[in-house]
Amino acid sequence: MLKVQEIRELIKLIDQSSIDEFTYETNGTTVSMKKTSEDIGVKPITRVETVEQPVEISKTEEPKVSESVEVTKSEAVEPEQQSVVDYDYEIESPMVGTLYTAASPEADSYVQKGSKVQKDTVVCIVEAMKLFNEIEAEVNGEIVEILVEDGELVEYGQPLFRVKTK
Amino acid sequence: MASTRNKLIKLLEKTRDNYVSGQFLSEELNISRAAIWKHMKELEKDGYEIEGKSKRGYRILKSPEKLSENTIQWGLNTEWLGKKIIHKSSTTSTQHIAHQLAQENTPHGTIVIADEQTAGKGRMNRKWHSTEGKGVWMSILLRPDILPYLAPQLTLLTATVLADVLSKDMDTEPKIKWPNDILINNKKTAGILTEMQAEQDQIQYVVIGVGINVNHTLGDIPEDIHRKATSLQIETNKTFDITNLIQHILQTFESAYDSYIKYGFPNVKNKWESYGFRIGETIQIKTIKKSWEAVFLGIAEDGALLTKNNDGEIKKLYSAEIDWYREGERNHVN
Repeated sequence: MLKVQEIRELIKLIDQSSIDEFTYETNGTTVSMKKTSEDIGVKPITRVETVEQPVEISKTEEPKVSESVEVTKSEAVEPEQQSVVDYDYEIESPMVGTLYTAASPEADSYVQKGSKVQKDTVVCIVEAMKLFNEIEAEVNGEIVEILVEDGELVEYGQPLFRVKTK
Repeated sequence: MASTRNKLIKLLEKTRDNYVSGQFLSEELNISRAAIWKHMKELEKDGYEIEGKSKRGYRILKSPEKLSENTIQWGLNTEWLGKKIIHKSSTTSTQHIAHQLAQENTPHGTIVIADEQTAGKGRMNRKWHSTEGKGVWMSILLRPDILPYLAPQLTLLTATVLADVLSKDMDTEPKIKWPNDILINNKKTAGILTEMQAEQDQIQYVVIGVGINVNHTLGDIPEDIHRKATSLQIETNKTFDITNLIQHILQTFESAYDSYIKYGFPNVKNKWESYGFRIGETIQIKTIKKSWEAVFLGIAEDGALLTKNNDGEIKKLYSAEIDWYREGERNHVN
């Protein structure tokens, strides 16, 4: 049976690929995905608009016999943000947890919009079950957009920062 | 050299109250009796008191109380954990040193231990009081070959290891407050802080920090936390040998870790739940957006907190502030 994060990972991979339709079947569970958009763009990174992601995964949501996840490629939809930020890398969360933008409530944020980062620059901390994971930028470049807030619950694979690499 | 000395200590400790003849030691270790005598002198330098009687042999009168790389290593029955030990009499925090060592490619299983920490690290850089010589202040450096999202399970595993050692060897009844605080009589006795450096699909390293209040008297614990913090000595009226306690923890940790890597989380989950604090009771949960009451059912197959809301909905939580004490008992421990 697929886990929620695995489904999410699949959506992402399929969305970035040229596959239009995808079906996965195991032990009576079927997951099928279909792209509705006609233009399979050649944008470097496609923003994945997944369903609002609840962090407290509900146990009552037993996987349905057939799950249909529609991935629509919409242009940047946030109304107040018309300008498209120029970026080519997204720093993603490696796990579910609470995001902290600073080492302690009194400390300055690790990075801000416009901060220059190296591969090993710590950009934030994600905490799950009291394990504190220092997230590094993994690329050299500049933080051009911050997609999360201090104290926010984040999902596995959720984009946290956008980086324009050098 | 060191391994000969390890064997020597083991031979002497096995027969603790009886004399072991120099002849026997020399045959077992395949070294001359003069060499045995030299080793004995070295052991005395590290704090052992050894009695040597002609015709009868040697026996240990007293094991060293002071911590050192040697005293921990001698008598430590592990395969890979603690093969490299860094001991500091005083340091800012063992976590800090372990992070530095990790960046310098120090191997899996390395241990950092201090007699005293001047800036002991708690969660979110909260201060941890680590009085000189009174407790265990230790960091374990690991390079596990597991996916980063599974790493939080190591925190729960460490909690079960401490609970096992405290209940079996120290004769206390510890409880684990999800995910990782060790309580005795509802008061915090030990804490665990796990920090990780990882990429999306690979762990660079994990540093597990363990702090245990052992031989503290009430006077050693700041008054403002008397109601929520305690030590093994306060709860049992006994003093404990720190070196011995560290060795027990490392031995128990190694076998628990090996079993986890081999068989996964189910055994850890069962053990954790056997020590779980407030399982089956109502707790108050707070996230950044809301606060609600739920019944604490136990932990999920991945270690998450499993709760049942008033409307019967079952939820898994990975990160939340929890008030473990309902109205009236609030602020007792946090």
